[in-house]
Amino acid sequence: METFFTTSDKIQHIIKSFNLTKTLYISSIIIGEAHTGKKSLARYLFPNVLLVSGFDQQEVENALEKHDELIITDFEKLNNHSSLDFTNKRIIATANYMGNPALIDELFAFIYSMPSLQERPGDVTYLKDLYLKEARSTLMIEDNTFESDEIHLNLSKNSKSLKKSIFLHLVKHSMDDKDIKRVLYHYLLKNLDGNDGYREHLALYEIPLIEAGLKKFSSQLQLSRVLGINRNTLRKKIHEHRID
Amino acid sequence: MNTESIDFQAFIEWDNNPFILFSAQGKILYLNNAAEILFGYVSKKELYDIALSYAPQSFGYKTTSLALNYDSFIFHAITIGYENEEQISLRLYNTPRIKPTRKIETDKLIVTDINILLEANIALFRTKNTNPLQLLTDQDLPPFKLNQNNFSKLLRKTFDTFRASDSIDISLKLLVGQHVIIENKKEAIVQLAIHANGRYADTDDVIRTLASESQIKCILNEHAIKLEIPLIQ
Repeated sequence: METFFTTSDKIQHIIKSFNLTKTLYISSIIIGEAHTGKKSLARYLFPNVLLVSGFDQQEVENALEKHDELIITDFEKLNNHSSLDFTNKRIIATANYMGNPALIDELFAFIYSMPSLQERPGDVTYLKDLYLKEARSTLMIEDNTFESDEIHLNLSKNSKSLKKSIFLHLVKHSMDDKDIKRVLYHYLLKNLDGNDGYREHLALYEIPLIEAGLKKFSSQLQLSRVLGINRNTLRKKIHEHRID
Repeated sequence: MNTESIDFQAFIEWDNNPFILFSAQGKILYLNNAAEILFGYVSKKELYDIALSYAPQSFGYKTTSLALNYDSFIFHAITIGYENEEQISLRLYNTPRIKPTRKIETDKLIVTDINILLEANIALFRTKNTNPLQLLTDQDLPPFKLNQNNFSKLLRKTFDTFRASDSIDISLKLLVGQHVIIENKKEAIVQLAIHANGRYADTDDVIRTLASESQIKCILNEHAIKLEIPLIQ
């Protein structure tokens, strides 16, 4: 059984409207950015309804002939709309963008717009915890020491980029020196070139070293002692790598 | 033919076009049945002013073609006449209602609880707007036959015209005693009325088209939309 969690008022209204019209023969469409949960919402509200994708025009047309109720995802990908007859059918469509507004207006009785994750801070927190759990289990990480607040949450592609940023964060934080060496090995194998390779790629080591050191020890003097290098050498490196 | 002995008053009384006889002071001396109903929607003064403005220059009768609109009453012409200084008459000509060219296929309609569609459309409206809404509805309305998709579109379009309005009042009620004939059957009428302090009129044509497709009479004015929906059984 699918579940759908949201704290967004807007989505609560969408759910309410769908619940009221569940038994009616009307056509509805949910329009919103990719990976905002449109398909999950449709699945959650209509778990037993056949789902077809707009990528396959023929499949949609065949399904329309045989079924009274249908979920059509990626509606914007359908290229021939004239053959669609929604009369007395229960249609739930999802689309990443409006496409032709006049056509959408003509075909659908209920037109919902799905808010992006940026507009749903409560949902981001929920998804973050969910993905963290999933990432921990998938990557088999039991370590609980890292701060989840430190994760840079990328919402540019909604749940997809959010999930990716959490997985990457966990991967990065669970690496030991062997893993880091392997990562560097693959990176260098791909990128090593030219005639100044040593100096060019030294930054891979020096920048994180100095940045982390400055964060941890706050003064350059102290850091130079910890690193066992001259303070002037450190200053030169900081300048060279443009570390502020 | 001698018509002197015929009393024409009854013919005027039961004429479907409103007829009013004013005194020189603007008092009503006589009005027929149709005019009596009309006065529910327009003031005496307004009609008297119209009578004076369009009166012929000297004794006699003058017919002017003009569009007048009072709620659901639509007139296309008026005749003003006077034969002495004491009385002036006004007759308004009803615009004939255009019979819908599209026949309604009642067997294709689905028995629906209109309150559900209304609630769902309010929820849809609230996903986009935060305007305060008041709803007064009759939960006891029997389910009736509707084209659910078409009617939902009509509701969406209707609500959309109030997207920037304050204090939106929605009421749904049975119009007691009023009927409409559809497919030779007498059907009751449910009225959905939405009032606000103002509204957009950009999609009024679409609303009219969608309404006529479902045999719904729509009355559109500056502050309100009224939909008279046949309660097809």
